[in-house]
Amino acid sequence: MSVSQPVSEIEVEITINSRRRRDRVPSRLLLSDYIRDTVGLTGTHLGCEHGYCGACTVMVDGDAVRSCLMLTVQADGAEIRTVEDLAPAGSDALSPMQQAFHDNHALQCGFCTAGFLMTLESVDPADYRHPQQVVELLSGNLCRCTGYQNIVTAVAQAWSDSTQAQ
Amino acid sequence: MKPAPFEYCRPSSVSEAVDALAAAESGRVLAGGQSLIPAMNFRLTDVSVLVDIRDVAGLDRVTVEPGGVTVGAAATQSRVLADDGAAAVVPGLRVALRHVGHLQIRNRGTVCGSIAHADPAAELPALAVAVDATISVEGPDGGRNIAARDFLLGPFWTALDDAEVVTEVCFPAAPEGAVTVVDEISRRAGDFAVTGLVAIIEPVDAVVRSARLVGFGVGGAPMRLTEAEAALSGWAGHHTDSAVLEAAAADAADAFEDIHATAEYRREVLGALVVRAARKALNSGASP
Repeated sequence: MSVSQPVSEIEVEITINSRRRRDRVPSRLLLSDYIRDTVGLTGTHLGCEHGYCGACTVMVDGDAVRSCLMLTVQADGAEIRTVEDLAPAGSDALSPMQQAFHDNHALQCGFCTAGFLMTLESVDPADYRHPQQVVELLSGNLCRCTGYQNIVTAVAQAWSDSTQAQ
Repeated sequence: MKPAPFEYCRPSSVSEAVDALAAAESGRVLAGGQSLIPAMNFRLTDVSVLVDIRDVAGLDRVTVEPGGVTVGAAATQSRVLADDGAAAVVPGLRVALRHVGHLQIRNRGTVCGSIAHADPAAELPALAVAVDATISVEGPDGGRNIAARDFLLGPFWTALDDAEVVTEVCFPAAPEGAVTVVDEISRRAGDFAVTGLVAIIEPVDAVVRSARLVGFGVGGAPMRLTEAEAALSGWAGHHTDSAVLEAAAADAADAFEDIHATAEYRREVLGALVVRAARKALNSGASP
């Protein structure tokens, strides 16, 4: 729906983790701040706030995007998924990828983890059969603890389990 | 690291977008926002009105024809990267886009936005110059088409007037048998290049028949390397490279210097990239 006159505040309708919301937000509000401060989902982390580190990666209409490089108003009408949506509701279980990260020590401080998980959630494993492709996929997320090896190992485990399950 | 206050509008047609820009004190078009939003987060750019073009019908279109590929202003880099038809007609689109940002950036960033942003170290403006792309813009006085070499004037500086909107960019088809190489030296994968090269090379019988070379991250705008093009003509890859290296260095005589590299380093890298691209083109020509 068009917004014909310039406005400094706007009402948006956004579905986040399957819940639809309507909020009146400032035009300047970044999607990352909307997710954390307005909605209260603090699993999405903000590292650099200029699109470099990937910590704030979420899914918008199925695609991994940097939430710090998107205005909330640009997500008007969109469906957003954040890290809170990954583990099955109503249990202590983790998603297979989260479990693989846990099993392989693919995080230490955990600050970057939500971003990695959302990047991985957004893609089809069939498109990343070679380890080099996985490394390239993960190059948009920075991790300062693990040295990445354990993350790559975790991805390999989670995705090989998922292909065996099929 | 939050943008300063601004007003936002989302017109439903190009003419409304032009009107909004014309009425604004300092209006900017918002397409993917992957360069504009960080610049606003850093408060490097002063914006009073953002004009979001996402609801303008048809601007996300990618049209593939035998003669070329036309990319609408709202078409994302991921969308174009995944388009096999576009890659068949203009191979440079795919090889250039592989170097652009990361998946998350390409999912939002647009091809036209990258060209309009005119970062001197970006791949797509250099590709546009290399293939003689045409940028179509609409403004208060109607539309005009601008050749990429006339559109890109300097660092973050284009021929676009304040109230004009880029509507599409047309990339002509690569010549039959030509090999397109996009190669660069960057600190990390996905970063802007320290120095890079777009090369469109036609090999015939293991000899370079013609070459179109455009360097980026060397000057303020994509830099056509005419001396290196001449030096490569007739080159067979086995004899000494010094003539080619010297020609590339001469083309880049006024390469810039910054914290990442000296001008001398940029000239050397550019020459090495030219040789590497030519060898690659000759090798791929030898085994069809």
